[in-house]
Amino acid sequence: MKRSIHVLALLFCSLLLILSACSSSDSSSGPNASASSATKQKEVDVSSPKENNEPVEIEFWYALGGANGEVIQEMVEEFNASQNEVKVNATYQGDYYENHAKVMAAVAAGNAPDVTQIEIGSIAAFADAGALEDLTPYAEGENGLELNDFIEGLMGSSYWQGRFYALPFARSTPLLYLNVDMLKEHGLDPAGPKTWDELRQFAQTMSKEGEVWGFETPIDIWFYEALVFQNGGEILSEDGTEVRFNSPEGIEPLKFWKAMMEEGSMKMPPGEKYNAWDVAASDFTNGKVGMIFTTTGALNSLMEAAPFEVGTAFMPMKKSYGAPTGGSNLVIMAQSSPEKKEAAWKFLKWMTNTEQTIKWSKRTGYMPVRVSAVESDEMAQLYEEKPQFKVAVDQLEYAKTRPMAPGYSELQEVIMAEIQRAILDQATPEEALNAAAQKAEQILK
Amino acid sequence: MARLSDAADTDKGWGLKRLWPVWEQAKQEVQPLWATLRPYLFVSPATLIFILFFIYPILFLIYISFTSWNLISPEKEFVGVANYIELFRSADFRQVMGNTVVYTVLTVSLSLVLALFLALWLNRKGVLHGIIQGAIFSPYIISLVSVSLLWLWMMDPQFGLLNWVLSWFGFPPSPWLTDPNTAVYGLVLVSVWKVIGYNTLVFIAGLQSIPKEIYEAADLDGASFWQKLTRLTLPMLSPTLFFLLVINTINSFQVFDIVQIMTQGGPVNSTNMLVYFIYENAFNFFKIGYASAAGVILLFMIGLLTIFHFMFLAKRVHYQ
Repeated sequence: MKRSIHVLALLFCSLLLILSACSSSDSSSGPNASASSATKQKEVDVSSPKENNEPVEIEFWYALGGANGEVIQEMVEEFNASQNEVKVNATYQGDYYENHAKVMAAVAAGNAPDVTQIEIGSIAAFADAGALEDLTPYAEGENGLELNDFIEGLMGSSYWQGRFYALPFARSTPLLYLNVDMLKEHGLDPAGPKTWDELRQFAQTMSKEGEVWGFETPIDIWFYEALVFQNGGEILSEDGTEVRFNSPEGIEPLKFWKAMMEEGSMKMPPGEKYNAWDVAASDFTNGKVGMIFTTTGALNSLMEAAPFEVGTAFMPMKKSYGAPTGGSNLVIMAQSSPEKKEAAWKFLKWMTNTEQTIKWSKRTGYMPVRVSAVESDEMAQLYEEKPQFKVAVDQLEYAKTRPMAPGYSELQEVIMAEIQRAILDQATPEEALNAAAQKAEQILK
Repeated sequence: MARLSDAADTDKGWGLKRLWPVWEQAKQEVQPLWATLRPYLFVSPATLIFILFFIYPILFLIYISFTSWNLISPEKEFVGVANYIELFRSADFRQVMGNTVVYTVLTVSLSLVLALFLALWLNRKGVLHGIIQGAIFSPYIISLVSVSLLWLWMMDPQFGLLNWVLSWFGFPPSPWLTDPNTAVYGLVLVSVWKVIGYNTLVFIAGLQSIPKEIYEAADLDGASFWQKLTRLTLPMLSPTLFFLLVINTINSFQVFDIVQIMTQGGPVNSTNMLVYFIYENAFNFFKIGYASAAGVILLFMIGLLTIFHFMFLAKRVHYQ
């Protein structure tokens, strides 16, 4: 009895404090206050550009580090200097995985950025969750955008259920990178292997046991997708509801990798996810490996870092050439206020206009996302000087969109884990992919 | 009425107050209430923070764990215990629990035993011992992110420092983090290295609080090193040991950073631990309900472990 009185007294005092805290600052906190402060902010935003000439500030979270990240910062600064209506604050948030997680957590907390980069395999998940602003009215509106100028093969990842959600930006395909000096040294065609069999022969020729490997690729879903496409297979059915990768076309790539690793002509870089990509890139520039798969977005930095001639080529073909497109698109978050969204749209339009596209592509190696950029004199001149840059654009002819399904961001981790199991001899390729397919049924349902 | 006259009798010297009998009565009645309330008012700010940041989130977590929710949509579909059933059916989750237990047991036992011996060795004056103590402690204050990156390079199977050193002694190269069978031991190594300095420091503090006279008496009686360790040092050190055991267990159970940076749960889920599992499901797969159910299980496990510690081990702790 006495104890319950004590507890009641304690609760009473706490409640008193909570109430006083709420009443004294009702403009900034409390459940009902958030709505009123949002409208307040809205008023400020509407009036400020006209009355005070204060720019609308928007937050932009990006997911590219290193030299590519510096280019983004530079572009943002240039955008800020070019006009006085919008001010963009750009912040690096780690790789795609980290950025996605932070964006999602921020959305839940109500302090999400206004613009961010979403890796294309996760766009369906974000759009399906309702996190992204539908850009269809923006593109069709008076301040709209000629979507036809964007390369068609890159637009598949921009739509979810018929609505337009994301503008192509840092778009890539995987390429075969060649250490041309090493190829020549071994009397191999410096243009690189054209088929899986040639890739294997080239790799065997250049490998030196325990010291040099002919070929290296992260055991990543993206490269696996490429090999499945080259082999005439599919990952998921067109509508993203059925599993297709546990087919002979899906199993063969694993057998191919395993055979090459067993004979010592292929190295699997240690580390998980993007750590492995970094290892592959540094092995390549250090001359430990003759050929790697990696993104075209790494082209400029690899060419600058490598003390040898870097070549690029289509990923070798099996039944046909093939590659997934990849990289990330720019999106506007649904949570932002209408004024910030308007400002964000201006920023997006600027970042993806022809001039910026050319600059971005030249400085990084990412694909120019606009037809007008590809056909520009500036790009033509670059392709003349550095034909390596053109390969990704040419390969687009054979490229496919990554599966668009809300569950794919989870499914790709499942597939990757099972592929690793097969590579590490814990299961046969058939067993591993069937196990992945079984889990996939649950994820996709 | 009786009370009023009592007051009048006792307070004879305060003539003025007789004119205010009502005030007097009110004061007497309010005072005990005030005396009861006062301590609660003092602790209420702390309680408020506790309710807001601990109790409320825990209740919310438990509520979410019974729903299917993607973190954004306004509707949280109530699904009952479906998330828990899915968790217990999932082979991945069983593996995650297994990994977490193996990691915790190894990290806690290794770091405590090694730290104890280091503390016994370093518990004396001298420049050299001071330097060693500082060196051992330094990993503890370095950011775990840099520590993880550093070890990641050292553990590279082909070009890493560790395998190079191993090769001097004729050991075969170890795959370290790239083999699912050894990856979790790699993480244990890093976290033991990281936390051992802190444990050693706390042990040394504990050792220094043991009165010297006890050892002098033991020496007079001709006790051996081992006898002194097991009969004197350990019992006298048991409060410290108990504290470190509880703290280390809880921390190890919640390991996240080194998993996130060094292995991201791989290869093949072999280093996926509970908190990383929760993080991945919540923020990469948008399965908040599922992740929350795992969070409730984490809370439950840590609670159980701590209760176990206090029920069975606290009795054996000897406080001076």
